[in-house]
Amino acid sequence: MITSDTNKSEPFNGLFVDQTVKRLGTDAHLVLDILQEIQRHYGYLPQPALERVCELTEITPASIAGVSTFYSQFRHKPAGKHRVQVCIGTACHVKGAQPVHDGFKRYLNIGEDDDTDAEKNFTVEKVACLGCCTLAPAVQIGEITYGHVTAETAGDVIQDFLKYLEQQKKQDSKKQDSQDKSLALPEIRVSLDSCCVARGCGKVFKATEEALDETGIRARIKPVGCVGICDETPLLEVAIPSKKNSIYARVEPEDVKPILLRHFKMPAVSKRISHIVSGALDRLVSDNGRQGVTRHLLDFRDKQISAYMDSQKQITTLGCSSEDPGDIEAYLQADGFESLRHCLENLTPSQVIEQVTKSQLRGRGGAGFSTGFKWQTVYEQDSEIKYLICNGDEGDPGAFMNRMLLESCPYRIIEGMAIAAYAVGANQGYFYIRAEYPIALKRVAEALDICKKRNLIGHNILGSNFSFSLEIKKGAGAFVCGEETALIAAIQGQRGMPRLRPPYPSQNGLWGQPTLVNNVETYATVPWIIKKSPETFAAIGTEKSKGTKVFSLAGKIRRGALIEVPMGITLKDIVEKIGGGVPGGRELKAVQVGGPSGGCVPARLAHTKIDYEDLTNVGAIMGSGGLVVLDDGDCMVDIARYFLEFTEEESCGKCTFCRIGTRRMLDIMNRICQGEGEKGDIEELEKLSQLVRQGSLCGLGKTAPTPVITTIEYFREEYEAHIEGRCPAGKCKALVEYSVTDDCIGCTVCAQSCPADAIEMRPYEKHEIDSEKCTRCDVCRPGCPADAIIVR
Amino acid sequence: MPKLSIDNKQIEVPDGWTILDAAEKAGIEIPKMCFLKPYKATTSCMVCVVRLADSDALVPACGWVVQDGMIVDTKSEVVTQSRKAALELLLSDHLGDCIGPCQTACPAQMNIPLMIRQIAAGQYKQALKNVKQDIAMPAVLSRICSAPCEKACRRGQIDEAVSVCLLKRFVADVDLQSQQPWRPECKDLCGKTVAVIGAGPAGLSAAYYLRQSGYQCTVFDDHDKAGGMLRYGIDEDVLPPDILDSEIKTLMDCGIEFKGNVTIGKDIPFDRLRKEFDSVFIAIGKPPKNSGQLFGLPINEKGIVIERNTYETALEGVFAGGDIVRNRRQAVRSVADGKEAAIAISQVLKGQAVSGQRHRFNSRFGKLKDGEKDPVIFGASVGQRTEADSKTGLTAQQAQIESQRCLHCDCRKADNCKLRDIAERYGAKSTRYKDPDRKLFVQNTEHDLIVYEPGKCIACGLCLQIAAESGEEIGLSFINRGFDVRVDVPFGRPMNVSLLKSAEKCVNCCPTGALALKDM
Repeated sequence: MITSDTNKSEPFNGLFVDQTVKRLGTDAHLVLDILQEIQRHYGYLPQPALERVCELTEITPASIAGVSTFYSQFRHKPAGKHRVQVCIGTACHVKGAQPVHDGFKRYLNIGEDDDTDAEKNFTVEKVACLGCCTLAPAVQIGEITYGHVTAETAGDVIQDFLKYLEQQKKQDSKKQDSQDKSLALPEIRVSLDSCCVARGCGKVFKATEEALDETGIRARIKPVGCVGICDETPLLEVAIPSKKNSIYARVEPEDVKPILLRHFKMPAVSKRISHIVSGALDRLVSDNGRQGVTRHLLDFRDKQISAYMDSQKQITTLGCSSEDPGDIEAYLQADGFESLRHCLENLTPSQVIEQVTKSQLRGRGGAGFSTGFKWQTVYEQDSEIKYLICNGDEGDPGAFMNRMLLESCPYRIIEGMAIAAYAVGANQGYFYIRAEYPIALKRVAEALDICKKRNLIGHNILGSNFSFSLEIKKGAGAFVCGEETALIAAIQGQRGMPRLRPPYPSQNGLWGQPTLVNNVETYATVPWIIKKSPETFAAIGTEKSKGTKVFSLAGKIRRGALIEVPMGITLKDIVEKIGGGVPGGRELKAVQVGGPSGGCVPARLAHTKIDYEDLTNVGAIMGSGGLVVLDDGDCMVDIARYFLEFTEEESCGKCTFCRIGTRRMLDIMNRICQGEGEKGDIEELEKLSQLVRQGSLCGLGKTAPTPVITTIEYFREEYEAHIEGRCPAGKCKALVEYSVTDDCIGCTVCAQSCPADAIEMRPYEKHEIDSEKCTRCDVCRPGCPADAIIVR
Repeated sequence: MPKLSIDNKQIEVPDGWTILDAAEKAGIEIPKMCFLKPYKATTSCMVCVVRLADSDALVPACGWVVQDGMIVDTKSEVVTQSRKAALELLLSDHLGDCIGPCQTACPAQMNIPLMIRQIAAGQYKQALKNVKQDIAMPAVLSRICSAPCEKACRRGQIDEAVSVCLLKRFVADVDLQSQQPWRPECKDLCGKTVAVIGAGPAGLSAAYYLRQSGYQCTVFDDHDKAGGMLRYGIDEDVLPPDILDSEIKTLMDCGIEFKGNVTIGKDIPFDRLRKEFDSVFIAIGKPPKNSGQLFGLPINEKGIVIERNTYETALEGVFAGGDIVRNRRQAVRSVADGKEAAIAISQVLKGQAVSGQRHRFNSRFGKLKDGEKDPVIFGASVGQRTEADSKTGLTAQQAQIESQRCLHCDCRKADNCKLRDIAERYGAKSTRYKDPDRKLFVQNTEHDLIVYEPGKCIACGLCLQIAAESGEEIGLSFINRGFDVRVDVPFGRPMNVSLLKSAEKCVNCCPTGALALKDM
């Protein structure tokens, strides 16, 4: 709704708008860029600012109103000083994101129809996916991500954030000395991508700096990208030349100094400190000190880690974890940009396309279209101007592969894009990266600057005749923009509405010109293919699916991680060998493959191979690479409802079948989950699924029914149970009751934590839950020290 | 030039033509709603879907460019069913009545809202003509009608129903008391004849409409005067005989012959009547008790058995209506039967297919929700219902005041709505998909000329294109996305600043009643 909510007594100061327009320009297609700046500055989009934009630029009121209400990132109401973004991605959903969201609203005393607290300090919002699935449920406040949040700890998170802000203020006054960059020095590597940062790596990094300062140890601290084992972070790796590297997991800031002292001799240290340090070291190795200290040493996990690495094959993610993502020297030392150089110096564009075609690489964005064929089509177009786009609008809830690649290996992606641009004859390219990935945006921007300075991007690249300029476009929150025609509309400054294909973007894309659109992972794979030969790549995988695929493995799994596996590996191997199986004595129920467009593959089909065709045959899709593991505590009807709610929300609203069809399906799903299902509902869902699948215009609508179709196919009895009034997994609020068993020790914790006053406090007696008052918020159950609260 | 096969017709079309263009060239009709030449195809409504045989894909014909060798099917079951489903999905999100709930409830389907607006405009003659299109004897009916219209009146959900019956009586009385009551134009006699047995409301009504269509009608009754139960079954205080007489006279004056004191089956054998007349309509009132058959026709507990829509009996050329087929007394139902039977009889006599009265598609709004009272009443008078003395009825001034209370529930574009027309053609049901949480009713009347009802919008965006093309500075925009998408004025500005030049064009191009002219 576009209405003015600015304080009327305060005249609007539009100076910022004027400056922004002056800086960015007045073209109509800049609407998204300008809106993003306005929102960043004001925290929302004040109407006078939008009107001012229309006065200053070629942007029309109709365009600005349409665009600003299409993308979910934009607000038209003032927001609190800080935005609490509760991730409702798949992994977070299955681990209880909804109660977490409600928990924050409760703690901040925010009414049902509101999202901001009375003091205008915090705005609580749901976001599609933060891409930190292994931290589920995850919450982002400002630049800080919190992991494993529960409804009960919502208050602690807010308090911690406020504390953090204070610390920041103090720190701002202090300046840090830059590190000695000499390469011969030993390295202390700390992972610094967004999930790691969320788990405290920033603090560990700081502690390392301080420790080096204090002890005088000469070593270089190196921030590295995602190492893939997100559950084990913060990770600290000590790399001393000519010695075996040691990796420490789950490191706390206070552990850093003892760890360093284990490897380095202190140049000067007083006896007193030495004594304390040796005490700390004792605790580290002896396992009889502070509880859980041994967890920090990675040695005892060696077996699992190597099993974890053995089943994988690194192509796209190669070297990500050992390099500083922003360090161009490191990338160049590892033969970075050699593939591009080779192409420019030794291969014609046709020959490059031939290599890619020979590798049988298929698009990693989901549909699996032949990359070589796509390049060939763009190449063949007779046009002076051609464009290239990197689709980094990873919107699948439960997927974070692209985020990790963008954060950890920006140079590889840039190199892949430059090779592709050379091959198809494009001189202008765009990175389209979603705004929910601030670190990715920052890393890519920094990498791009360096590339430009080094003539790896720009005019006459590496002394050749080939010129290629590249810029970043920030997505504004619309899953449908993963669809290539919608993405192009977004770059053109329009509402992200897909259009009919043909004509395909390869013939008629951005600004009507031939445009190559590939996904982040696809581009990141290209340099390896050129370097190692297409045959080497095609030797990996199955008959029709070659090479490797990057997945984000999350959900009910012991080791959630980012993984890269050879095509042809089974789901079972991924879950058991890499993920370490389902934790908590639970059983594997299904693996959700491919996000909201994908399907649920039941445990009995876990032998299904990672292969485009094999996955399609079981009703799922390869998708962009989300793998969410579900256990017997998960309700399949709820999962299907969750995905459908997501796609319904993300529908652009253009065609009838998607706009209204998905809503009508969701109506039925909601009814079923609320215990109001009727006989015939399943059949009606099947009919509607067919209509929506066949009649929708774009991929979003065509695949929206897939989660429903697959769960009905494999778990029909669960739907029937719901219609009979039972949720076998005990997930659907309306169909369950909370009660206290005889194991209750009368500790009153539940009564104290219940936000609905449904539990009377009775010290040393068995407690009872008043089912009438109980809101099924699930605050009491995990908090019970005796596990005496059960759901039926 | 690409060649394609469309419903097995081979044609060649210029480059860049769409399937819709090709179909039109081949003389194949494809329904379209969101697409209008020369505007850009937005491919949103999906009622123009066709099937591509090679991929089995359903694609919108309006925007899909023909490729060489394409095989298109526009008529198969899957295509028809998908179009119907698209319509039914749109209708599940369509907030509006095609015809007013009063008219829907009226057995005679009289256009009550139009009558009320005609009264409000002082057009009493037009109002009477409108009434008499469906109710042959409004002066009589308005005194005795059980008024299902008032029970359905939406105003009744806010305070009290509009006094429809009194307004109708006002219109009828003004005419009846005039020097020369209105007489419809009757076609020249065509030579065919109809015998009507029974001069009650059903019989007289049938004769009235048949005579208008050019048939010679003779009405037989065993009483000496026409009127049937109207004359012999109703208290004179309620229905004064002079009113009955003068209104029957307006019918008879059209050239209907009345033969009283004749009992068919006794004075004239039924078979002879069948031989002498081209068609017979039986309307003798409530069926006699304990008789297994009548005029050789089988009778069940309700009376003579008929085909529901066509009033045909088991005997060829013999029709029946009114209380004899229903065994209950409801004058307005009988009048409606007479009118509808006349339509079927006329179809038979013209040798046409007999389908009876055409029942038009109707979308239903349903009950008001909380918060809808104000937007619904907006524009109507907030005054109380006018009651009147049963002897005098409403004065002109009272009629004026009462007519302002009507909420104009009926759609301003009921006769010019693509959604309604196509839904009717595809047999779409507006209640096929239920909306558990329908949107709130909104009407935007800020513009001098037009009314905008977002609840009727199908989000085709034609008005956006027209406003932009016309150079409107503010124009219109899509707001929000997905299910919540709607067309609105940017920055919440009023509509009268948004459409300065193109309002009427937008109305003309709007495929539904979302944008309509204010005037009736």
